[in-house]
Amino acid sequence: MSAETIQTIIDDLGALLLFTMILIVAASQISRAIYAVAAQSLFIAIAGAVLATATGNVDLWVIAGVTLAVKATLLPWVLHWVVRRMNVRREVEPVIPIAATLVLAVAVVVMSFHLSASLGSVRQAITGNALPVGIALTLTGVLVMATRKTALSQMVGLFASENGIFFTAMAVTQGMPLIIEIGVILDVILAALVMTIMVLRVRSTVDADIAELDRLRG
Amino acid sequence: MTGDRPLGLVLLEMILLVLLGPLVTGAIQKLKARLQCRQGADVLQPYRDLAKLLRKGTVQADTASGFFRSIPVLVLAATVAAGALVPVLRAGPSAFPLGDALMLLGLLALARFLTAVGALDAGGAFGGMGASREMTIAPLVEPVLMMVVFSTALAAGTTELGALAAHRGTSWIFAWSAADFLGFAAMLVLLPAETGRIPVDNPDTHLELTMLHEGMLLEHSGPGLGCMLLASHTRQIVTLGLVAALFFPVGPADGIGAADLLLGAGAFAAKILVLATYLALVESSYAKLRLFRVPQYLGIGFVCALTALALRIL
Repeated sequence: MSAETIQTIIDDLGALLLFTMILIVAASQISRAIYAVAAQSLFIAIAGAVLATATGNVDLWVIAGVTLAVKATLLPWVLHWVVRRMNVRREVEPVIPIAATLVLAVAVVVMSFHLSASLGSVRQAITGNALPVGIALTLTGVLVMATRKTALSQMVGLFASENGIFFTAMAVTQGMPLIIEIGVILDVILAALVMTIMVLRVRSTVDADIAELDRLRG
Repeated sequence: MTGDRPLGLVLLEMILLVLLGPLVTGAIQKLKARLQCRQGADVLQPYRDLAKLLRKGTVQADTASGFFRSIPVLVLAATVAAGALVPVLRAGPSAFPLGDALMLLGLLALARFLTAVGALDAGGAFGGMGASREMTIAPLVEPVLMMVVFSTALAAGTTELGALAAHRGTSWIFAWSAADFLGFAAMLVLLPAETGRIPVDNPDTHLELTMLHEGMLLEHSGPGLGCMLLASHTRQIVTLGLVAALFFPVGPADGIGAADLLLGAGAFAAKILVLATYLALVESSYAKLRLFRVPQYLGIGFVCALTALALRIL
């Protein structure tokens, strides 16, 4: 495949990633946000496969496969399991209205495009729009984490944020060393595990979500 | 002035749109019924409804002014005029001065305004409520539609729909740029709102809690109601045609023979069928949103359209 084709495909995937991010921000039910983050991971895996065919880098194929298996399948399944297990509060509880979060998300997207345009020569070296899209995904994920009350929605935000970093890393380096990527994936699995246990423990001990844990008791 | 679409073709396309409008509604209703495991009314039922209404007499509220009688005709005229601007059979700029996409959106907005004015004029409570709701939703839908049009127009350098469609060419989704994906996503979010369907509006009920567009039609009767219904059928197919012209390929501009026109007609039917299936699927799988949730739903479309525009400009 030619370089322009690759760039077009990565750009298109970037647009789809932004679309899934918008869905995550706008989702009023936690399960829809989980489906959206799964779709986002699927697009990341596709981007990895595209880059793998472009560069002939076998490591990227492995990474795409692992992303598909772990982030697009396993983690959403775990999140759904936790939602079923907790059995209440299917709705996300935003700190500020979702419409306001959407406006902030737009600001983040526009700013990341605007600011990364000023990077000039650095941006030239990177495939298509991957850098601004990656920055936008990362920051919007942080935005989701900051504006949600329940731990589960914050986890969704964290995964989205992680997806953004992963996408940028993949496009910038045309494939990091395999050991680093595997390490990152393991970190994500571990984080999901710890957070899942934590959420369930907090719930079973004090019957509250983490938003209510705001006072220290001696 | 040279162009690919002579006056005869434009008129033919306009008449075709008006004639096919009720068929699309019928097809969506039939599909919806099948999806819900019902037999459903015949696809031609909207035509029968129209024929029945045209034979009936007119009853008018005492409070309505003389202007009320002319409302249906004006609404239908504005909508049909908007239909003339949509390329159906063949892409390419028109051979004579014809409005562009902004004109189309303006005419649709005019039809909407006249419908609301008519509903208020009759003095009924439901009409006024429907009008107020419609006017609450409209300012959220129309700017987003414009932004989607602009994001496509920026790439083509023109807002004339025929030229836009010609610029899209005959290549399919492979030629889409990143902004097109987001623009199309915004369009998919907006379509149910613009065609008055679930999750924004419910075309099948006359329950006062749920209706937007139907509420405004309550005071009309007989041929007037027929005109209003035909206008809403036409509006729906015009909106679908706008989406098709902006994002899907239209028949090639250089073809002259009847075979090319037939190909264009077949392609148009396929595109409309795909979009109608989408509408039926959405209507069968979602519940109607609470009115106060609608801005949030439309917000998704707004953000998508704005991002598409940002991708084009930055």
